[in-house]
Amino acid sequence: MSTHPVHLGGAKFIKPWTKGLGEPDSPKSLGATAERSAKHNRSVTDAVPYFQDWRESAHQVKTFAVANLDKLLVEFEQKITARGATVLWAKDAAEANQHVLDIARRHHVKSVVKSKSMVSEEMELNHVLESEGIRAVETDLGEYIVQLTGQRPVHIVTPAIHMSAADVGHLFHEKLDEPFTEEHTKLTDIARRHLREEYLKADMGISGCNFALADTGTMVVIENEGNAGLSTATPPVHVALIGIEKMLPSVDYLPLMLNLLPRSGTGQKLTSYTHLIHGATPGRKLYVILLDNGRSNVLKDPAAWSALHCLRCGACLNNCPVYRRAGGWAYGWVYPGPIGSILTPHLLGLKTAGKLPFASSLCGMCAEVCPAKIDIPHQLIHLRDRAANEPSSMNSLFQRTIWTVWAWFMAGPLRYRLAAFGMQLGMPLIKLVPRSLHPSMLGAWTRGRELPKATGPAFRTWWRRNHDRYESKTKN
Amino acid sequence: MSSRDTILQRLHRELSEGPYVARPPAPEVWPRENPAPAAMAERFQNELTAVHGEVIRCATIEDAQARLAQLAAEAGWTSLGVMDRPTVRNAAARLPEDAVRPANDDWEPRTIAGFSASVVEAEALLADTGSCMIACPTPQDRLLCYLPPACVVIARLSQLAEHLPAAWSNISARVADPDVRGEFVLVTGPSRTADIEKILILGVHGPKRLVVILIG
Repeated sequence: MSTHPVHLGGAKFIKPWTKGLGEPDSPKSLGATAERSAKHNRSVTDAVPYFQDWRESAHQVKTFAVANLDKLLVEFEQKITARGATVLWAKDAAEANQHVLDIARRHHVKSVVKSKSMVSEEMELNHVLESEGIRAVETDLGEYIVQLTGQRPVHIVTPAIHMSAADVGHLFHEKLDEPFTEEHTKLTDIARRHLREEYLKADMGISGCNFALADTGTMVVIENEGNAGLSTATPPVHVALIGIEKMLPSVDYLPLMLNLLPRSGTGQKLTSYTHLIHGATPGRKLYVILLDNGRSNVLKDPAAWSALHCLRCGACLNNCPVYRRAGGWAYGWVYPGPIGSILTPHLLGLKTAGKLPFASSLCGMCAEVCPAKIDIPHQLIHLRDRAANEPSSMNSLFQRTIWTVWAWFMAGPLRYRLAAFGMQLGMPLIKLVPRSLHPSMLGAWTRGRELPKATGPAFRTWWRRNHDRYESKTKN
Repeated sequence: MSSRDTILQRLHRELSEGPYVARPPAPEVWPRENPAPAAMAERFQNELTAVHGEVIRCATIEDAQARLAQLAAEAGWTSLGVMDRPTVRNAAARLPEDAVRPANDDWEPRTIAGFSASVVEAEALLADTGSCMIACPTPQDRLLCYLPPACVVIARLSQLAEHLPAAWSNISARVADPDVRGEFVLVTGPSRTADIEKILILGVHGPKRLVVILIG
């Protein structure tokens, strides 16, 4: 399990890094951009008459893959080793980082270019490399931008959608000493110029992997910018980071996945580049790191296996009303949005992330758009149940006491009346207490909100006065 | 115990308790309509143009030689890295001799980055997406696809398939061949990004221009 800081404790969930909650205008472009992507991708998937059949097929393929994960991993290892790769296994992020550092030392690596890899975010690999004096540069434009800001990606496909072109212009001016511009073409050219040199001098390239084909030992990487092609082909050493759930049983399922994923991810029929990498390219070294990092925890809970079906397309993020308002950082860790609310509690444990499954309105949009047909709302309910009954932040002594007291008051008419009377007295009094004195959790809530004014008498009082009229009508 | 054994044992323990799942059949994905080559060529051209790629139709290889030379002259390309394949060498025959750089296993990435353009060969074409599959067995072949600012793909009409599933039996057999190395890359238009405000910009890291010379 990761030992890296995870910002999910108590009221912190709705504090500084969740600017969106109390301040609707905060992530300016995020909500609108996510919504635009959702609409565009929906129009693309709706245009395919077979799309629902594809989702069902993908669900079946991933179900089979997860149920046979142990066999597929061994098969993949054999096949890609036969094609010149060195396969390393890592139980957790720390071990994976150690593998990368060992490889870097062996090949005297001073600088690294990285194409997008969510697994490397799990490992916080950039910090680890930097702390060992190795320069690590993100090459996906969005990742490059968030790396320069020192932030985490807000989105798994478009990491910097919270920033406007002007924000990027100021950033490039400040960090790269480039004249300010907010023209998209010029900004892109600046990044091209700076990163081009990085590719050419890098000693090692690091990539993720979208699909690992067990029967052929092929790694499939999907991208648009060309940075994955350059990161994996330019330096003499390529390290591929693969979560163990990325296995596909056969090359025969790839046409299905390649038709599904780009449509759901970016609304494209195919991305600009789909790389099928056949082991080590002659003259280049290839290391493959297979990372567990909590994934096998999911398998302990058979009802939750489908969490491992995720293709990382980001459709559930774009379509989620909570994500659009709260932004990616609100979810505290690497995976935001509805899928993050499922993955994070599994990968980091309910004790750390038991609150996340509750941060959803269960509207069901995520399940409708998921290309692997993951029933996210029911997974969230399942995790809520577990969080309430297993050791977790939602099952603390404080929580249990509150609910026991509440249940006691609700369990008898006299007690209920007593509680209602107490509320009537207490509500006006609470308003007299200065906000600064509100207890921490309540304070986070009341800081930006007024207590609603109760209208009219309580229902019980109203009923006592009016029940005659209604009961006589019913009798007639 | 090694991490490999720990992970595999853990997986085996949990999975052996799980339900049996039958291996699903590989879906058809798209039905086969077997369109005529001319219809596929038109579809290919429309799809590739829609993603900002360019298509030059040529009846013969001689025609292709002339069009490539004309393209290079118009664009002012002074150095072209040319893949070592008979069709590509042939197509490059009328380029100015001093501009042609035949692929060389000793090329450093910096050399390839200095070329004005690359000329590569397609192994398969997909009509429904406007994609070219390019086989790159060496690092130099791979880099020819990504480093120069323009990439010209030499392709033949007979390589067209209506979609990826229709082309797959040929491609997958080669993917499965353990002696095949390097990569197969499906290229669908020039390099692009929409990472800033979702506005499409061409040529962020890879080629800004992708031209397919389609012969036949």
